[in-house]
Amino acid sequence: MIMNEKTKPGESVAATAPATPAEQVPDWLGNRLRRMFTDVMEEPVPDDFKALLQQLEDKERGA
Amino acid sequence: MNARDIFLEQVTALLPALRAFGRSLCGDPARADDLVQDTVLKAWTNREQFQSGSNLKAWLFTILRNCYYSELRHRKFEIEDPDGVCAAQVAISPDHDAKLHLRDLSRALQHLPPDQREALILVCATGLSYEEAADVCQVAVGTIKSRIARARDRLVELLGEDAAQVTGAIPVPTMTDSEQISTQRSGVS
Repeated sequence: MIMNEKTKPGESVAATAPATPAEQVPDWLGNRLRRMFTDVMEEPVPDDFKALLQQLEDKERGA
Repeated sequence: MNARDIFLEQVTALLPALRAFGRSLCGDPARADDLVQDTVLKAWTNREQFQSGSNLKAWLFTILRNCYYSELRHRKFEIEDPDGVCAAQVAISPDHDAKLHLRDLSRALQHLPPDQREALILVCATGLSYEEAADVCQVAVGTIKSRIARARDRLVELLGEDAAQVTGAIPVPTMTDSEQISTQRSGVS
């Protein structure tokens, strides 16, 4: 579920464009930060997490 | 499907973003994943406190950064110098330190104080607004902005003046507004 927290229904994208972070941080730095972040996001989620969530789900079902 | 199944489903969908946020905070992938595990457990334990419809990502990020800070307090020191570079330069002037010119952004981030690091990451990498970042960090919007400015200055220093050329970025911004918006969006989970 992907939501853009910056826009509200009915508002045009241009009116709520997130200009201020770009004003504060140069493009090259912003791009590197986002790329660093998305690199990790694209990694497969380790099995430990799946196991943990499965445990929680099972506990919930069993309750 | 009941409300709790949906909650677990939504938390699962946010795991990549949580792992990325955790790693950008503490630098070490294994520690970051431990933090995320703690976060998921705490979120689950406190799920009644979360109002469905409000911002789950921000709520989870808040739990994660609280776990991070309480771990720092327990350790009573901050690992800001993972490679021992600063320790090795004890007698060197600040000017020399400024010329470290780290190529690795995540290592450079670890040289920032955690409050500056988290402000910068929340707004510029995870795509939260200033207001949302302020809520997560429990400070005023103005504080977030000044932390980002200081983080920016320090990173520019650490990464070196040639960093823009290294990444192939063009000195004069040429992205149109719509291109910038779509770049920003692609950084949001």
